[in-house]
Amino acid sequence: MIAQMIVRNLFHRKLRTLISVLAVGVEVALVVVMVGLTTGMLQETAKRIEGIGADIMLQPPSSSIFLAFSSAPMSIRIRDRLKTIEGVRAVAPVLLQSSTSGGLDVVYGIEPESFRAVSGGFVFHEGRELREGYEVLVDDWYAAARRLRVGDTLQLFGHDFKVVGVVEHGKGARLFVPIRTLQQLFGAVDKASLFFIKCVRAGQTPHVMGELRALFPRYEIRPLKDLLSMMTPSSLPGLEAFHRSMIALAVVIGFLVILLSMYTTTLERTREIGVLKALGASKAYIARIFLVESALLCAAGILAGVGLSYLAKGVLTSIFPTLSVQITSVWLLRAAAIALGAGLAGAAYPAWLASRRDPIQALAYE
Amino acid sequence: MEPILKTENLWKIYRSSQVEVSALQGVNFEVYPGEFVAVMGPSGCGKSTLLYVIGGLTQPTRGRVLVDGNDLAALSDAERTRLRRHKIGFVFQRFNLLPTLTARGNIAIAQHIHGNGFDPHRFAVITRMLGLTERLQHRPAELSGGEQQRVALARAVIHEPKLLLADEPTGNLDTRNSEIVLGMLRQLNRELGQTIVMITHNPEAAAYASRVVHMRDGVIVDGIPAD
Ligand SMILES: Nc1ncnc2c1ncn2[C@@H]1O[C@H](COP(=O)(O)OP(=O)(O)OP(=O)(O)O)[C@@H](O)[C@H]1O
Ligand SMILES: [Mg+2]
Repeated sequence: MIAQMIVRNLFHRKLRTLISVLAVGVEVALVVVMVGLTTGMLQETAKRIEGIGADIMLQPPSSSIFLAFSSAPMSIRIRDRLKTIEGVRAVAPVLLQSSTSGGLDVVYGIEPESFRAVSGGFVFHEGRELREGYEVLVDDWYAAARRLRVGDTLQLFGHDFKVVGVVEHGKGARLFVPIRTLQQLFGAVDKASLFFIKCVRAGQTPHVMGELRALFPRYEIRPLKDLLSMMTPSSLPGLEAFHRSMIALAVVIGFLVILLSMYTTTLERTREIGVLKALGASKAYIARIFLVESALLCAAGILAGVGLSYLAKGVLTSIFPTLSVQITSVWLLRAAAIALGAGLAGAAYPAWLASRRDPIQALAYE
Repeated sequence: MEPILKTENLWKIYRSSQVEVSALQGVNFEVYPGEFVAVMGPSGCGKSTLLYVIGGLTQPTRGRVLVDGNDLAALSDAERTRLRRHKIGFVFQRFNLLPTLTARGNIAIAQHIHGNGFDPHRFAVITRMLGLTERLQHRPAELSGGEQQRVALARAVIHEPKLLLADEPTGNLDTRNSEIVLGMLRQLNRELGQTIVMITHNPEAAAYASRVVHMRDGVIVDGIPAD
């Protein structure tokens, strides 16, 4: 009976219910899509780095694998020391730069020979290896997204680069240019952001890493074999802060929307509250009506949010085909819990007010 | 016989920011089981206030209210709520039905609040006596004023309250519907022994009661039991 009344009340004010449901939906989708986007990018990056086929990655102190912005790059001459370590077969220096022309892309400046020695070489869909100058290799996804073919021109860092090859995706970046070109463009002659190291046998990786740690004590030395499984938002402190602020934003939206919606509802239903009290309804009974009503709003909003999340994912990936949005059931559940929690918190105050309303004030003005 | 309702020197003073209004100024009043009492008096003399205090919707400032032997003034808010739930039924001038529920829903929610579950026998007896059997699936907006008040009446007595309190129940009704509702109050009183306290301005309405008391300026000015 009480359920019937609550549902009827929600349908009674269709517009407000719709707006509240949508707002909660946006709240849920915000969390799910933002987290899906960032973890998707994270996993993507990790998968691509893993796909290079190197065993170890060496970076300057306190650098992150994902952000190419950083890099006070190392001298490329470090390679000579690396090569002397027993068990090292090949070393490939890479200079990283981010290109912001139409999305955020990481560009690898590579030496074609050493990169081939470490990775086993690109699989070419068309075209040829990099030589030098303003040449660029693009991976097949990027080529498809930008409709690029060999011979086309691509603007990077304010320069025209000629596409000389389209390669199979999964080798670290989607864009590769000669390392020397990138060094000259950014005044980083003889510098590298990181080294990929290939061991003679994979089993020697721990030994080589031990040697590296002794030689470069403060450097970031990561094995690449388990990179993917190690990739959690907590491996990137900025990302966790970002997630937390998204969640905080979502909580505030959900809280305020339900607070406002329920507050106006209790005002409108002053007389009804008075009647229920005259019928002998306890404070808890009155409060429960409004809390259940809010919970229903939230539940509908959560369903809408799941739909919106997939919709947003569809739209985003159709506009940016290289983007990966990971919608996980864990985060769907978390977002749902956040929405419900924020909603009930928002409903608590109006429900409390309603439960305490003086029945004769509510009934007096006949 | 013990009175079902007894007030002793009952005062109610409304205090708003500056003004104090003494709505009840020492009401002494008794109602015995099975009585149908009409309370008459000029506007503002405190009739509604008396009903709210008796029904435990608000606390008296001074004095005692005994409902079925329980002193309301000594009870906590929660205890008064419980007493009201089990022993009191209210009917108002404005019918005060819940607009989103059907007639059946309005009656059933009273049973739900009461907590004893749905009693189909009682439900059938009451709705038949009040002539509502055909109108149960309708929302208040689809019912006439008289029908709405009959639904409100059914809602107020569905849980067999010791005391039915009606505040000008015919104040918003035309003569014909007033007569129907008053007739039903009398029928509830005679056939089911329902004790009723009814406020009214209308002497014709008061004539349905077994006893009439008059109020003026917050006190009862007569009210010697008729028998
Ligand atoms: N909530 C309130 N706060 C302050 N004063 C009130 C309140 N309710 C009623 N009063 C005052 O108390 C007095 C008695 O009011 P009450 O409603 O009991 O009268 P009444 O006899 O029912 O009048 P009517 O016949 O017009 O319904 C009036 O002067 C009224 O203005
Ligand atoms: Mg009144």
